[in-house]
Amino acid sequence: MSIAYYKLPNGLRVILSPDYTAPTVVTAVYYRIGFRVEPRDRTGFAHLFEHMMFQGSRNLGKMEFIRLVQQNGGVLNGSTRFDFTNYFELLPSNKLETALWAEADRMQGLAITEENLKNQQDVVINEVEVNVHNQPYGGFPWLWIPQYANSNWYNSHNFYGELKDIEAATLAEVDAFFKTYYAPNNAALAIVGDFDPGEAAAMIAKYFAGIAPATLPPPPDLTEPRQEEEKIATRPDPLANRPALAFSYHMPPRGSPEYFAMGLLDQMLVQGDDSLLYQELVKKRGFTGEVSGAINELGNMFDYDGPMLWTAALFHDATVKPEQILAAVDTVVESLQSKPVEQSLVDRSITKMRSNLYDILTQFGGFGRADLMACYALFDDDPAQIDSLEAEFRKVTPALVERTAREYLRQTNRTVLLIEPGAEESN
Amino acid sequence: MNPTATSTVPRETPPQGPPPKPFHLPATTDFTLPNGIAVTMVPYGTVPKVAMRLVVNAGAIDESAGQVWLSKLNAALMKEGARTRSAEQVAREAAEMGGQVEIAAGSDFTSVGGVVLSDFGPEFVALLADVLTAPSLPASELPRLKADLQRELSIDKSQPEALAQERFAQALFPDHPYGRTFPSESDLQGYTIEDVHAFYRQNFDAVRTRLYIAGKLEGDLRRAIENALGGWAKGAPAPDLSAHPAKARSFHLIDRPGAAQSNLLIGLPVAAPSSPDFIKLDVMNSLLGGSFASRITSNIREEKGYTYSPLSQICTHPHLAYWLQSADVATDVTGPSLHEIFFEIDRLRNAPPSVEELEGIRNFLAGLFILRNTISPDAIIAQLHFVDSQGLRRSYLSTYVQKVMEVEAADVQAMAETYLVPSKMTIVVLGDQARIADQVAPYEAAALADG
Repeated sequence: MSIAYYKLPNGLRVILSPDYTAPTVVTAVYYRIGFRVEPRDRTGFAHLFEHMMFQGSRNLGKMEFIRLVQQNGGVLNGSTRFDFTNYFELLPSNKLETALWAEADRMQGLAITEENLKNQQDVVINEVEVNVHNQPYGGFPWLWIPQYANSNWYNSHNFYGELKDIEAATLAEVDAFFKTYYAPNNAALAIVGDFDPGEAAAMIAKYFAGIAPATLPPPPDLTEPRQEEEKIATRPDPLANRPALAFSYHMPPRGSPEYFAMGLLDQMLVQGDDSLLYQELVKKRGFTGEVSGAINELGNMFDYDGPMLWTAALFHDATVKPEQILAAVDTVVESLQSKPVEQSLVDRSITKMRSNLYDILTQFGGFGRADLMACYALFDDDPAQIDSLEAEFRKVTPALVERTAREYLRQTNRTVLLIEPGAEESN
Repeated sequence: MNPTATSTVPRETPPQGPPPKPFHLPATTDFTLPNGIAVTMVPYGTVPKVAMRLVVNAGAIDESAGQVWLSKLNAALMKEGARTRSAEQVAREAAEMGGQVEIAAGSDFTSVGGVVLSDFGPEFVALLADVLTAPSLPASELPRLKADLQRELSIDKSQPEALAQERFAQALFPDHPYGRTFPSESDLQGYTIEDVHAFYRQNFDAVRTRLYIAGKLEGDLRRAIENALGGWAKGAPAPDLSAHPAKARSFHLIDRPGAAQSNLLIGLPVAAPSSPDFIKLDVMNSLLGGSFASRITSNIREEKGYTYSPLSQICTHPHLAYWLQSADVATDVTGPSLHEIFFEIDRLRNAPPSVEELEGIRNFLAGLFILRNTISPDAIIAQLHFVDSQGLRRSYLSTYVQKVMEVEAADVQAMAETYLVPSKMTIVVLGDQARIADQVAPYEAAALADG
């Protein structure tokens, strides 16, 4: 599929990638501001702000953005992630211009009342309650384990937000955040689907070229120190009734040969029933029914730009002790560190990765493709990178896998999170 | 940041864009094997992947009262090897094709399938066929899989929404398998390998099976299908186990001390998908609570801030449907949330929507229809399986948009008036009884008065 990439004079990065499989089109606007970088006394602010982007702009009052997309036959969403916040619409392809006009309207500026802010503070508090506080294992492990594994505040704070911080946010802070980060020179616009690139470029110029750029603050230092000692954290969960265990290792730097090797190690270790940890922990030892795992639990191994963890998690019975589980994990990890893995295992993990890449790129009507291209435009100024990913994985050798396992699957690079259940068994 | 209302600049009108392009459903190839397996193949897309689902009319509905989750145990055991292959060999072969064998047992169906690289389509058909028709179901794995299900049961029962749904299902489907969500620990512990073998033998055969394949199709799939599945015993069709859901007001308060939120479930049976009312109900539901811009969501989320993700939907089993509104609301507004939900139901029962509001919803459903039939091979399969399992003609899909566009405002009101009768609704509230008992008392009293 073709990719056209250019920048408007105001700095907006534009990626156009037509695909005529279906008469639909994805319009995705990515702002390079994620939840790592939010005011220190306002945890959860980046996410609360995402909600404000649906609360009104110059030509679209509250609920009007949502209604506009819906009554044109589309769906929309926004999400706040480690290194970006996105807004996207999936619409019948004749409605591309409608989507561009609406996204430009809110990039131009917001029009929000105290009442709307208060309303969304209540909605977001309900969101955190339903997903975390009112739920057994609510933040396990996605919200909690980064807080133990990382030591730099940007990576280790509660990014869903302390309720008191969410409640304390003011309209002036919303205004300042918008002015600082929601500028065309801090954004990417990706279009995927059934459209004519020339016509799209003309519409984009018409609606976005007049939006003024901002002076961006220097990026903060997000780096994590090399971890030299294993961390073990225990967290009581009064709503849970079975113990759970997760472990994370800090990832190699994005784009390095070791990073691609870790992508394959993820496939070898936890993806699928053929994986080594499934075979060891589920089939052989019977410790659990399932081992889940991921690089970046809020996306995939491609759509972040900063320190990241590879995490695996499972639920077990009280009769099985965490030490037994970790010893079994160590057996598997040591087998990867002590000698080069068989070429056939590398080949199988490449096949799984290739298959997975197709799934990512076609996810949700082409949204997955827009996601990766927008991220690579923002992070590396190079959205066409998506076409070279498979080749990078193919360069990984058994020797590189062994080297990567030795350095990154070191026990001293590991953080373990144990959930101690506080609830009675109910039946 | 001035409110838009005070702005003196005239507002722009959104550009409408050109008229829609014609949308044609992906074409299907259909054939039936001599033993009764109905096959549908849908060539779709350019990405070299193919999704396959063998869907068997066998699930929780086939369990007796003391067999709850036996269908899940059977599904788990079906992953433990087939014909001459061990479980690990099955897993490895599927992985080498870029996928895995996925087996799921639901209330009405068990599906055996997966998504693999297109090059391996014919081989994957053969692998899935072995897993479906010749599973080893080994006794050696039974204790481990039962322990896994005991853990799953225990964790499920710690989830508030699962407990609320369990009670709702009990109330709507008394004395029917749909009303039995969880087994007792001791029942589950007692299941033997003979129980599993008997369940498989009684419920898995060719005439109860459909095969769907969608995506980029490569190789001689038809031949692979005939070779791999043509020899399976025809068997007997599924028995008629149809349910007769309760349509009477009942109120259920489940105590969850200290809960930060209350889980609300409100619903009742409505016309089945084969009814001419069903598409009208679909439009009514989308307008009332089934979309982001719907009335109930606008009210209790965007105006009041009581909840994050309220939703109403029309849930279906084969040949029946029920309407269900769910919302997880802050504890101190449990009563007010119920009040607003019933306020919106009554408002729609008492007056038709405006033409503008209705048009917006009709367009929404027309657009959504395109997305549902294009977004992924598995989405295409889900649409086709819905039509087939409801005994509808495939023309249900090709005429859907036209029928949606013909729904009038008076139809929407009539659907609400006819079907959404508050005095016949089941209401489940799970929350901190000490803090919500007074708030929900009026709804409890109404249930007693009606009962």
